[in-house]
Amino acid sequence: MAKYGMIVDIKKCIGCNACTIACKVEHNTPNEMHYTQVLEYEEGEFPNSKRTFLPALCNHCENPPCVPVCPTKASYTREDGIVLIDHDRCIGCGACILACPYDQRARVEDDRTVFHDGKTVFVNNANAAPPKGVAAKCDFCYHRVDHGDVPACVETCPTTARIFGEWDGAEKPLRELAAKYEAKGLLPEKGTEPNVLYIE
Amino acid sequence: MYSEKFEQSGDTLISTPTVCLGCYNCCGVKVQTVNDKVVDVIGDKAAINSRGYICAKGRARFLDLYDPTRLLYPMKRGNPEKGIGVDPEWERITWDEAFDTIIPKLKAVREKDPRGLVIAHFDLPGYGISKTFGAAFETNNFHWNRADYCGAAPHWAHLMTNASFNGELDFDECKFMVLWGTQLGHLAETIPLHTAAEMAEARRQGTKLVVIDPFCTNPAAKADQWIPIKPGTDGAMALAMLNYMVNDLGIYDRDFLIRRTNSIYLIKPDGHYLRDAKTNKPMVWDQKAGAAKPFNAEDIQEPALEGAFDIAGVTYQTAFNALKVHLKQFDMESASAFTTVPVDIMQALTKEFVEAAQIGATIEVDGQQLPFRPAAIHFKRGSGAHKGGALGSFSIHLLNIMVGNLDVPGGQRGVNPIGPFWEPDVDEDGMIVVAQHIAKYSKPYPAQKAKIPESLDLHELLPASLFTRGLYPMGIDDPEKFGLTYKPEVLLIGRTNPMMNSHNADAMAETLKKFDLQISFATFIDETAEFADILLPDAHDFERWDLFPANDPYAFIAPGPGQWYWHMRQPSLEAPGETRAWTEVYIDIADRLGLLEKFNELGEAGWGISEKHTLDRSKRHTVKEIAERQAKTLIGDDFTFEDVKDTSCLITREKTTAEAYPGSFVKGRMPVYLEHLIDAGEDLKSVIDELGMEWDFRPYNPLIQHIRCDEHDHAEGDDYDLLIVNFKVPFQTQTISQQNIWLDEVSRANPYTFNVMMHPSAAARKGLKDGDRVLVQSHHGQDEGNLKVTEIIHPECLGIPATLGHWARNLHVAAKKGTSFNTLLPTPDVNRIDTLSGQIDTCVRVKVTKLSGGRSHG
Repeated sequence: MAKYGMIVDIKKCIGCNACTIACKVEHNTPNEMHYTQVLEYEEGEFPNSKRTFLPALCNHCENPPCVPVCPTKASYTREDGIVLIDHDRCIGCGACILACPYDQRARVEDDRTVFHDGKTVFVNNANAAPPKGVAAKCDFCYHRVDHGDVPACVETCPTTARIFGEWDGAEKPLRELAAKYEAKGLLPEKGTEPNVLYIE
Repeated sequence: MYSEKFEQSGDTLISTPTVCLGCYNCCGVKVQTVNDKVVDVIGDKAAINSRGYICAKGRARFLDLYDPTRLLYPMKRGNPEKGIGVDPEWERITWDEAFDTIIPKLKAVREKDPRGLVIAHFDLPGYGISKTFGAAFETNNFHWNRADYCGAAPHWAHLMTNASFNGELDFDECKFMVLWGTQLGHLAETIPLHTAAEMAEARRQGTKLVVIDPFCTNPAAKADQWIPIKPGTDGAMALAMLNYMVNDLGIYDRDFLIRRTNSIYLIKPDGHYLRDAKTNKPMVWDQKAGAAKPFNAEDIQEPALEGAFDIAGVTYQTAFNALKVHLKQFDMESASAFTTVPVDIMQALTKEFVEAAQIGATIEVDGQQLPFRPAAIHFKRGSGAHKGGALGSFSIHLLNIMVGNLDVPGGQRGVNPIGPFWEPDVDEDGMIVVAQHIAKYSKPYPAQKAKIPESLDLHELLPASLFTRGLYPMGIDDPEKFGLTYKPEVLLIGRTNPMMNSHNADAMAETLKKFDLQISFATFIDETAEFADILLPDAHDFERWDLFPANDPYAFIAPGPGQWYWHMRQPSLEAPGETRAWTEVYIDIADRLGLLEKFNELGEAGWGISEKHTLDRSKRHTVKEIAERQAKTLIGDDFTFEDVKDTSCLITREKTTAEAYPGSFVKGRMPVYLEHLIDAGEDLKSVIDELGMEWDFRPYNPLIQHIRCDEHDHAEGDDYDLLIVNFKVPFQTQTISQQNIWLDEVSRANPYTFNVMMHPSAAARKGLKDGDRVLVQSHHGQDEGNLKVTEIIHPECLGIPATLGHWARNLHVAAKKGTSFNTLLPTPDVNRIDTLSGQIDTCVRVKVTKLSGGRSHG
């Protein structure tokens, strides 16, 4: 079966965080919870200092450290490579959260979007929030992918800095793009073989 | 992620295409609702200016609709005392009760002197309503907003040359881009989704990007080269580069300068043009004939670009010659000492720019050979918001003019100087004059006649400017000083927050208190609304219609090749509670004042409604009814609202080559020598003398100067040793987005939003460290902040992003987040403005000291 992946074009990312909010709305994540965010780094000394934007999300690893540690088999990899959490099976033990070297999983402490008054809850009439007490993370918008769409962050990105597709798809295979720009995964020393790669 | 529950519910998802008003831009979006509640807002793929993309602000802002602090009912002030931190003691009233206060007061003002009414907002699609209302009421005091803090100077430079309000770059063809004090293409400027997509692709394809900015902004982070510069010195750097280009390298586009500028006009020793005795036309020197001829003479064979020529014992030099000689004083070493940019960097940048411009190259477009100049500089507020802002901007733009890249493939471009129903004029002197459709306010050229002010924005004292809206506080505070014979009495305000967006809040508070009656439209009770006597609950833009098109083409149709497109804003929801769109309320007020017929008559003339679709002038029309008539006029008689069911974007036709690349097609010349400023300055001087005022006449000079800001220079040992610098962030906008809890989350996680930024050397000098809570004091105001010590800021600066630091009682999310840049600025006075454009100088020195506690964000 075709395997999905994402290439993040660091050269194109402008740090606008449109992806962050798109994901937030799409998954109706509660206050303070994000499945993707743009991290920022600075290095070097003025005036040769540099500022870098790094969109971060679940890497949907080929060897996902989060999956084997799950005592209830809630974390699993689909045939198409998407790593998911079955929220019905998840008991929120946190083993996967500790195992993820990319810090891309978190426990849902409150499943609501609550305004600042602490009382008023924003209820989205269509989009489901992750249930309280489970581990949650980027799911590559599998619900969209299964309908032939791309993930919400990919569709939204104003600079097309996120490219989603099949590694060996018929049209625009990701593997060719990865080879052309010498794509790299994060933390290669962890041996996770991520399906999210970065190009510069 | 549509839940199973939703999918099984049988509920319908309704998608309404409209135009986002999350900032001043006009991006096509689709608002998605289920059971009359918004569940998402997505980009509209059929909308050309957004292409299906959407920014963080656009996607998040529907949450504001459901914020529990949203104002839903009219209120009146219970506490007569007004002030920062004073509880207005709001009491709920009905709309009728509100009108019972508003209408008699407006009637009284109108009888006494209608100019006592001041209208303030920054809701661009509503200008057509408020301007018409103001004209019907007979006040000339409308559209007070903060535009002069932003673009009065850079717009000035674009209007004088491109005959366009805004500038942009040809992303498709340009290979060398310079962003000078601006963030074009990084979601913080005009047509942001279009420019972000195009610029990112250009960079990916190898276009070089250079960013000149004191702070390493988002575009500077993406740039191949970031050149940090001391704030407010941009004009000095540009003048040194011009000198190097023209006098040392000797590379410039002679053909362009001869054809498209006043470079060849002969200048008399007194600085004026030499004019033909018969026709009064400016004259040029025909080198072949060895004689001076009117510039439009058909028999000119070889006009001289350079040199001085003797006619009857008097020497006349060309305008370009005068400029070239004038530029010699701007040496690189002095500029480097002032700007802090090393000489070798300025020289290399100049060389690379002129070489990349490929002067002389052409490209075929639709069977026509056009000049090809794939190098361009774009500038905006950062380089313009200074005392000499207009000339500073113009100095930068002269670098573009020298390589002939204006409005040609590859180059710098104006935003649609030629459109389907507008084009620039040419005056008697052969100079370009921006189309009336683009310059809806004063045109900077030709200059107006100066006179004793009749308007509170004092624009009569800035006869060569475009608008002077930032000067309202000067006129409101002390009308007599400027010869004004009336006093401001009623303020009708909404969708602008001068308490936060202009200058020191204490000073602005005194300005607001000058009004007998302040009527504020509000969705949230912000810092300015807290001074209101009557609060009127405003609809969100997802709940209202607007005049058509919502994307005014003067700035909001992508320039360059493409199509002409026009957006319809339409509601996706009923307005909740007793909220009403402010535009509809203006029409209601016009009706209650007995001004409806006049309002309709003036509106018909200003709204571009053809005779076939005229209004019933005696009737109170809704905004939707007016928009329908506008659309039938512009799109065609067969327009119906069915046409905007799937997309808000209506396309009429492809642009012609002349519309896409006007540079080779417009007839008028642009100035390199600002001859008109001699007479404008002399004319103004007589008025200033009559008023007995001080005024800075240095900008009224045909040859560009660099004018230092008041607080540039710093005495040894003075604690106020850092210049503040402001920049936008791509996930906050103006003062309207900080209450949004999602954008707040992103901002808190970001290191450069809710902090103030300081270089390690400055921090060490002051004994400060990362994370300290600090007091930031200027000579005009103060605020607190969280310190971020960073290598990505100029060592002489303190970086203060966006428009932050709210304090309104109801804005619990926004309150105390970040630091207010603007409250550190002084009330404008003649020493703090650009006396040519009205731009407000934002160069202010601060001292920074440690407070107890604190922790930096991000």
